[in-house]
Amino acid sequence: MECDYFEADVSDKASLQRGLSTYMNYCYGCHSLKYSRYKRVAEDLLIPLEMYENNLIFDGSKIGELMEISLTKEDAINWLGAYPPDLTLEARLRRPDWIYTYLRNYYPDSSRPYGVNNRVYQNVNMPHVLEDMQNNLSESQYDQVIYDLTNFMTYVADPSAEQRKRIGTYVLLFLIIFTAFAYMTYREFKKDLK
Amino acid sequence: MSENTIGKKSLDWVDKRFPVIDLFERHLSKYYSPSNINIWYLFGFLLLIVLVMQILTGLWLMMNYTNTAEGAFSSIEYIMRDVDYGWLIRYMHAGGASAFFALIYLHMFRGMMYGSYQKPRELIWVGGWFVYVLLCAEGFTGYVLPWGQMSFWAAQVIISLVGSIPYFGEDLAIWIRGDYIVSGITLSRLFAFHVVLLPILIIAVVFFHILALHEIGSNNPDGIDVKKHTDQDGVPLDAKPFFPYDITHDFYALGVFLLIFCTVIFFFPEGGGYIIEYVNYEPANPLSTPAHIVPSWYYTPFYAMLRAIDFPLFGLTAKFLGFVVMAAGIAIFAALPWLDRSPVKSIKYKGIFSKVFLAGFVISFFVLAYLGSVPPTETKNMLAKVFTFLYFAYFLLMPFYTRFEKCKPVPERVGDTA
Repeated sequence: MECDYFEADVSDKASLQRGLSTYMNYCYGCHSLKYSRYKRVAEDLLIPLEMYENNLIFDGSKIGELMEISLTKEDAINWLGAYPPDLTLEARLRRPDWIYTYLRNYYPDSSRPYGVNNRVYQNVNMPHVLEDMQNNLSESQYDQVIYDLTNFMTYVADPSAEQRKRIGTYVLLFLIIFTAFAYMTYREFKKDLK
Repeated sequence: MSENTIGKKSLDWVDKRFPVIDLFERHLSKYYSPSNINIWYLFGFLLLIVLVMQILTGLWLMMNYTNTAEGAFSSIEYIMRDVDYGWLIRYMHAGGASAFFALIYLHMFRGMMYGSYQKPRELIWVGGWFVYVLLCAEGFTGYVLPWGQMSFWAAQVIISLVGSIPYFGEDLAIWIRGDYIVSGITLSRLFAFHVVLLPILIIAVVFFHILALHEIGSNNPDGIDVKKHTDQDGVPLDAKPFFPYDITHDFYALGVFLLIFCTVIFFFPEGGGYIIEYVNYEPANPLSTPAHIVPSWYYTPFYAMLRAIDFPLFGLTAKFLGFVVMAAGIAIFAALPWLDRSPVKSIKYKGIFSKVFLAGFVISFFVLAYLGSVPPTETKNMLAKVFTFLYFAYFLLMPFYTRFEKCKPVPERVGDTA
């Protein structure tokens, strides 16, 4: 099926903070973010370090550590039949619109072990962890939750994106000036050859 | 200016011990280039800049990269997240690889269009071709290093081609991999090639290429020998010194190139999946093959040739024949100086057949590039065969059509009408 339209806005810190909170409470039990560090996320999302440590680190890790989980491969395979993949780079691997569409396309299917199936990823092993939320929220509220979560995953897959675009703008401005001067120098010398 | 300034004295001191002034004059201020060279003559300079950029960014990447199967993938993410401006260094290097190939293809096409490979520039051409071959190896070995899914499977596919060689192929493939499948052992040897052996060879051959060029001088869009008409001091009349006239032009071109390059690396660093493939954000997994294994865009014409040969012949397997055709597609460039029998150099004065076959070559290169980047189908495979044939026709029929076609007379001097 075609993915729904999704456009990330990683400058919307409030959305990223809500997405982080959903991720830490619903996803992080199984899906690590092991290439990212707590501190980097806290700083980029403008969350005071102390507040982050008290509310969003569950296993006593230090704030500078990588966001690893305690679920072992062996337990995961015994309990779930598969090891839930690390999701740090999921938004770069599958693209954000895929994640956004996937999380909004669970449907009841009694033939599956958890009673749910997914239109984007047929016979997926993952249970619908946001089922309660989907049942208790209006459609637009649920879409907003998924938007924020996907937005956060887009951020965490490429945390330097904002800095990159900011620096890139200055680099291009410099290069326009450089090229203009280089062109004028070239033109001056070219006059000799006539 | 006074005669005995500190600057002059130091220059004299050095010059008596090392020929700085002589080198400067021979290669810059008294190195002459034809007055009619055009935009196609800028790519050599840009390639040199990109080479320097790749060496410098590569050096910085190497400071933080881990060349083991366990550590490679996460060390790339370490560079992207924890190393200051690591993302910039890495995007410059990955984008630089694509820029390198884009520029070298344009540079090679210039040579083909204006017959720059013809006598007396055969060695310049062959040296440049060798740089291209080394660059293909450099690109491939570098592609494996991030140790993502596509890194692993590209290495698996390419090295397994060696295994298709009859009799000793399998043993040779194991020897190259150092293992029965691509593994950490393969990774660390490809790393050694990528950062030591291949760069040294590339620098050495580029040096040879430039030295050979400076011996003879640039060709030009008309294929006129500008050294034939000189003033009483032996300075060619239809030429200008490289310094300052070409270097200022080159710096202007550098500005334009960097504007394009920086727009890509700062705003579209993945290049829509063509510079950094999305599949490569999944760590290498020998147990799960990706749905479509595609090489980087700059190899896709040759990958299409490999897949086009899907039939065994004379007791040789289709895979081996495909491998031979693919290798021949790259190797045949080196033979151009001896395939071209035309009395004129430039496409401007060659006959209709040269123009048609060159156009056919360009079209087949692009069509094959497309076909190599999409999953194969029956029709696409048929097309790949046709365009592989057309690609080789440009080269293999060249001795005939260049000899018999009717050429236009070449003007004696730049600006003349013959």
